[in-house]
Parts: sequence; C-alpha cells; structure tokens
Amino acid sequence: MNLQPKKLHIPVEHTTLANGLRVVASPDRSAPFVTVGVYYQIGFRLEPRGRSGFAHLFEHMMFQGSENAGKMEHIRLINSSGGLLNGTTNYDITNYFEAVPSNALERVLWLEADRMRALKVDEENLRNQRDVVKEEVRVNVMNQPYGGFPWLDLPPVAFRNWPNAHNFYGDFSDLDAATLDDVRNFYHTYYSPNNAVLLMLGDLDPAEAFVLANRYFDDIPRGPAPPRADVSEPPQTEKRRGEVPEPFGTLPALAIGYTAPPRETPDWYALTVLDRVLHGGRAGRIYRQLVLEKQIAVETDGNFEAFDTNGPTQMVTRVFHRPEYSADATIAAFDEVINELREKGIAAEELEPVKVKFRSDYYSMLEGGMGSYMPRFGLMHYLACFTLFDGDPKRINTILDGFQAVTPAQVQAAAQKYLIPHNRAIVVRKPIAKGAAR
Amino acid sequence: MTTASTPAIPTPHLSSPPALGPERAVAWPRRTVRTLSNGMQVVLAETHTFPKISAQLFFRSGNAAVAHRAPGLAEMTATVVRTGTVSRPSRRIEEDLRRMGADLGSHAGADTTAISASGLAEFSEGLLELVADLARNASFPAEEFERERRQKIESLRVERTTPGFLAGERLRRVLFGEHPYAIIAPTEEQVAAFKREQLEDFYRHHYSPANALLIIVGDFAADQMLAQAEKTFGNWKAPEPEVPPSPAPPHHSGRRVHLVHLPGSVQTQVLLGNLAITRRDPDWYRLVLANSIYGGAFHSRLVINIREQKGYTYSPRSSVNALRQYGYFSVHAAVRNEVAAATLTEMFYEMDRMRALPVTPEELDSARSYLSGVFSLGTATQDGLLGQLSTMYLDRLPDDYLETYREKIRALTADDVLAAARRHFDSANEQIVLVGDRAQIADQAALFGQVNEYDATGKSI
Repeated sequence: MNLQPKKLHIPVEHTTLANGLRVVASPDRSAPFVTVGVYYQIGFRLEPRGRSGFAHLFEHMMFQGSENAGKMEHIRLINSSGGLLNGTTNYDITNYFEAVPSNALERVLWLEADRMRALKVDEENLRNQRDVVKEEVRVNVMNQPYGGFPWLDLPPVAFRNWPNAHNFYGDFSDLDAATLDDVRNFYHTYYSPNNAVLLMLGDLDPAEAFVLANRYFDDIPRGPAPPRADVSEPPQTEKRRGEVPEPFGTLPALAIGYTAPPRETPDWYALTVLDRVLHGGRAGRIYRQLVLEKQIAVETDGNFEAFDTNGPTQMVTRVFHRPEYSADATIAAFDEVINELREKGIAAEELEPVKVKFRSDYYSMLEGGMGSYMPRFGLMHYLACFTLFDGDPKRINTILDGFQAVTPAQVQAAAQKYLIPHNRAIVVRKPIAKGAAR
Repeated sequence: MTTASTPAIPTPHLSSPPALGPERAVAWPRRTVRTLSNGMQVVLAETHTFPKISAQLFFRSGNAAVAHRAPGLAEMTATVVRTGTVSRPSRRIEEDLRRMGADLGSHAGADTTAISASGLAEFSEGLLELVADLARNASFPAEEFERERRQKIESLRVERTTPGFLAGERLRRVLFGEHPYAIIAPTEEQVAAFKREQLEDFYRHHYSPANALLIIVGDFAADQMLAQAEKTFGNWKAPEPEVPPSPAPPHHSGRRVHLVHLPGSVQTQVLLGNLAITRRDPDWYRLVLANSIYGGAFHSRLVINIREQKGYTYSPRSSVNALRQYGYFSVHAAVRNEVAAATLTEMFYEMDRMRALPVTPEELDSARSYLSGVFSLGTATQDGLLGQLSTMYLDRLPDDYLETYREKIRALTADDVLAAARRHFDSANEQIVLVGDRAQIADQAALFGQVNEYDATGKSI
C-alpha cells in the first residue's frame, strides 16, 4: 500500500443576504446529518467595561427563550429532533451550533432566526443564569487544580489594554452588577445579522440551503454597524511576570506567552509553524528537552490559537515542573530551547515532518474538532473565522499552502524576532503548602 | 466572490417551528470482520470523507485482570510500552509518528488495554507497523520506566486534588468492595513499588493475538487493509491469558454518605450511585431511555430542575456505566456548598418520581428521538465510529447492533421506562459521595444517612 498524499478539497459556496447576514454552505451528502452554526463577531474581548464576563453570561441568555420559542424550547426542539447543540464564547466570536439529522435543517434555521430576531428574557432568567455561570466558574476555575491556568492568568500580565487584559470569565461583582438593560443593549449592539455568519454543512444542496436561509433570516432588520473598539496594545518595553497561588495542585507550574504577529501576515504563518516545532506532542522540542531529556518537567504543552482569534494573541507554553527545581531554573532550561532555535535555526529534515503533522492535524480538526462529538465542528469553526476575519471562507482550501511554504530560514527569523524577553509574559502558579489551603 | 441565487420569497416569519420532513435513511457503515490466521480478530470500516485513518488495537485485559496483585499495573505497562521497542528508541517512535502525521496513545482501563493511533491515510502501512512493533516488541527501557513511574506518581498527586476524580474513586470503592472494579487508580506507594519485570510479565501474558481486537476505520480499501493486517500481525503467535475469577461486589442496604474532605473547596462535588446492569442485559435499552429522561440529556428532568429552575449547578448529569462484568447507575453535580443537601433532595425527588409515575408521552417521544439521532450522529466521525464499533465488538454485542439500536429504542413504552426506573434507580440504597470541605457540608451530609469521612488519600478520618 504505497499511497500518494491526497489533496483535500472542501466544496464551499457563499452569499450575503440583503440584511448583511453572510451565509456559507458546504455540502457532503455521504451521511444524513447537517451541522449548523451561527457565529457573531463579538467575544469577551469587547464586553463592556465594568461588566467582565458579560459576553459569556449573554451567551447563556441566548438559550433562555426568544419570541416564539420559550425557555428550554430551543433545547427541547433540537434534542427531540435527534440533535445536539451548544454555544461557546471566545476572544472575538461567540457561536451557537447544532448537529441534527438533515430533516431538521429548517427547524434549526427557524430557531436560530427566532433568537437573532427577538430574544425574550426576563429578570428571573438573568438571575438563574447568573447563578449557573457562577457555578461554571467554580467548577472550572475556583475548585479545580490549575483552574483557569493559564488562559485567565496570562492576559492581565501580558497585556495593558483592558479588552485584552481583563478577567474573561468575569468577577462575581461584575456578574452581579449585570442588568436586563445590559442584556438588551449588548443584544442590539452586536447580535444583528450584519455582524454574523450562518453556516450550513453536510447533507444539503447549497442552492436550496440559501433559499431556506433567505426564508428564515431575510426579515430580520439590519442593525447599525457595531462600534469598532481599539484593541491594540502599546509596545512592550519591559519583562512581564506575575504569580498566582495554586490552592489545590501539588506541582509548581508556569506559563510563558509570546505575543504573536497579526493574522495572515507572513510572520504569522512562520510563527504558527514554529509553534508546532516547539510544541506538537512528545516530538516537540520543549517536551523532548524538559520532560524526556533534562527531566526537569513532568508535563509540558502549548499552543498558538492562530485561526480563531483576531486581536493580540499569544503563543503559550505550559510547564508543570518538579518541585526540586525552582521556577527560575525551569525558565532557564526553557530559554536554552528557545535560544538554540534562535541561534542555530532548524534543519529541513526536522521541519518537513512538522508540516506533515500540521496537515494531518488540520484535517482532524475539520472532521471533528472539540472532542469530535459533533461532525465537522472544526470545518464550521474555521469557515466562520475565515469569513468574519478574512472575508473569504474559501481560504479553507488554500490556507494550508501558506504553512507548507514556510522555510527553515523563516522559522529561525520568526524565533529571532518574536521569541525575545520583551515580547513575553510569564505567570508562575505556586502551590500553597499542604494543609495551608483556606 | 461567488454569489448564489437568493430569490426573495416574501413570507412572514412563522410563529411555530416547521415540522420535520421525512428522515433520510442512515447508511450504516459496512464492516469487514475477519479472523487472521493466528486467531486475531479484525474489524474494518471504510469512510472516505477525510484522508485519514484511525486504528485501535485492543487487548481484553485491563487493570482489573491484575488488581489483586498490583493495582494500576496494566496502565503502567501501557504507558511504558510506547517508550521503546527492540528496534526503535523512544525518540525514534515519536519522530516516526510525526513523519506520518500521526498521534498515538496507549492506555488501560478496567477491562481493556488499547494502543490507539490515527494519522494520514497515505501512511497507513507504516502506522500499522508501528502499532504492531509496540504490541510485539516493546523493550521497556529501564530509564524510560523510571521516568514514567515518577511522572505517574506526580500526576496521581494532582488527580487526588481533583474533586471529580476523588468522587469517582470513592464511589467505585464503595460500590465494588473486594471486586477489582473498586480500584480506579493505584496509590503513590503502589506505583513506587512497581518493578520493570512486572510490566514485562503483564505484557508477555496479556498482549497476545488471541486476546486482541484490531479495529481500523478511515480512508482505505478494506481488502487491501485486511491484507496489510495479515502481513503485519498474522505470524504473531502467543497463548490466550488466564484471568482469575473476581469476588462479587457487596450488597448495599440503606443509604450511606461517604464524605471526602478536601480542605478549601468552594463547591461540593455530589456523586451518588448504585449497581445496575451491563450492556448485555435485556433491560439495557430501557435503562438508557429512563436515564435520558431523568438526567442524561440537556433536556432532562434533573437538568431542568437543578440548573434551569434552581441555578444550583452548571453541569448536572446522570449516566449508566457499563463495565464488562457489572454496570452502575450514577448521578453527579458540582454545586455551591450551601445547597448540597438541597441538591440531593432534588436528585431523590426526581428519581422517586421516575419510579412512581409513568413519563408523559411528550417526554417519551422526545427522548426516543434524541437517543436515536445522537446514536447515528455518533457514527459520523472516524473517532465516533471507532467508539461505536469498539463498544459493539468488545462487549460482543449482536452483529446487527448498529442497525437495530434505533428501532429498539423507538419501540420502548412509558411502562418500560417505569419498570427500568423501579429496578435500577435504587433510591432507597443509593451510596452518596460528597467531596468538599467538611466544615461546610458535614451537617448537610448527615441528613442522608450514616456518614463515613475520608481524606484525599482514602484514609478514614
């Protein structure tokens, strides 16, 4: 079985409704399911000041009822159609998505249109979901070892501009301060058709799907263009380091984040590949050096969320190290890995397999992604990001070329330019001594 | 930019949801099921949407097979298996994987050990050879063993600060007593006492073709893949392992509370459960449906009650857990400390309601559709399909399991649900585990029965 690499081609068609809603369809009739997503171009980066955590709280409110589908109706209608649904809040987008047997496509569109047109929520819903969100924060952050590490720890250390630097899950006092008026304002500011994209994937005919999209979404009025916030960061001129107490976990840990160049620039491609050289499992340079060879660390991982962010973003490494090594000794070992790459670069023989793995990971993401419980979740996610951030969903078929073209020299140049002390932030998670927990 | 035609159809928006159209038939994946010349079972299923393959080589022996000698030995063995073979040192294995665009895992659960690999279809041959190399020629390098053992101890320390892990560990202890399923992870001392020779011994006895099941799904031609499997594994000979019989789990009479003290907790992890049934039990489908209505789905009674009405918790769920020899039913929620007792009250209320009254026709219909749809959705990705097939072939379910699952679910009635709830939601004898700060919750715990307290290492306190 000597097989040739196949070049994947995803069929993509797209259009824009009169009210500004972008619509993307990608057919695959091999199984009778459709995956549908509505992505709004608003995330926790742009939530109102004094209302940290609001974008996520609002996402919960989108499940609390709309004009024609009351509380729990949305969930009941999807579940009883044989489907799954969820929503997530990210830096620059909030998404709502369903995977259903294809005979439920119209029903899903009706539901998504209903809550885009007329959200209907009250004080009781808000109070209820505020409680639910607090328990979400407790279970994921406050009552877990390494909860929120480092996605909540790094931003306040790394960034200076509030949109990039605040607590994205929300301070409880800010959650308590949220009012129904805040919900309405946020909805009217950001949840308009012209600030969103609708995606329909799987067992459908694109032309028919566009007719359905038009039927259900066309009468939703266009909203005013959302305000453009300044999310830029002032140039960093100093080292940045912070410390967060770890109430449960027994291992000291640290996170190191390097701020990345803007998406779709040549350096962004190089840094995205560089990320896989450093991280990318046990063959990655950091794991190999720190865990396998020097055995300073017990576990390392890392990533650069290149595709689904559209503002200041970091390539982040996490290191859980043995208590007998200090944070500084661990950072020094990490720096040796970085300096070696900066000084000696990378051989083509090392880079080529990294690119093969990159292609493989890309296909896996498109097929499933996010735990693969929802078919084509990743395809939906990337199509949405390419539409909202880059204006072209068809980049799904070409973006790999940009990564495959990155050269060893470009990787080294990116390391020299971005992997410097004045472009990074470090957060140390220090375990509270046993028995001293509150 | 492509612009598709979007004819304007001036329809006022509908105030009720559009009806479902006719469902398109699900084309269940064709399986090629063969036994290689050495007795090894192989299951293949083609899916061609993405140019990848996903493979799992199972051995029908896990931690339970040796728990009486060394808890966690199967998992430790699986961990070290990936760190070296006779011809490939650790670094070479990792680089080979990357060259093939592949990911690899090797783990053991209670009943099985699995080497899992997925990668680009164009490298199928090399990937299969690597899996076979790990299964047949692992060398257990001493240095790798020492490092992995030390890492295992560190990760166990962290796990024993994780409320969900601690709750699960305690519930299994209580439900299974002297049966090996009681132990989900070894102690630090037990890991420290592992010897390299023990791992080699487990490997020699349990990683054998007669004990194996190889499942591969993805972008390949089944006849070619079958030939490849025969070429790679066919000449491998080893006897079937013997597994000692296990003592029966205890019988529980009355509710008991098992409080695991985790100082500083700002939440209480609630977990309760009782022994139930395996997938091979005639009641399995009834119980799955009853569970779905009780607390197994977003739109279930328990979720509506304690999340959407009362706001006690973010992620309450109930589940039916099937191991090879026994199964159990469980209910969990992480709640703020003040409402630990109130949460238990609602869990029992909803359980008792399921036992007392038939579910409504709407609930029944909704849950049957949900389970049917989600079951078929589960076959739509390579990993999902692999999971379905492994359930089917590891549990030795009937050959038409995939094709008949939905009709079996759809044929169930409200009486079936009531009967299953009465038999398997053992409300009066639930074993209740609470993980939290005892100063915050001990009084609430005592409302539900005699309380035993433990620390995070499992010692009574």
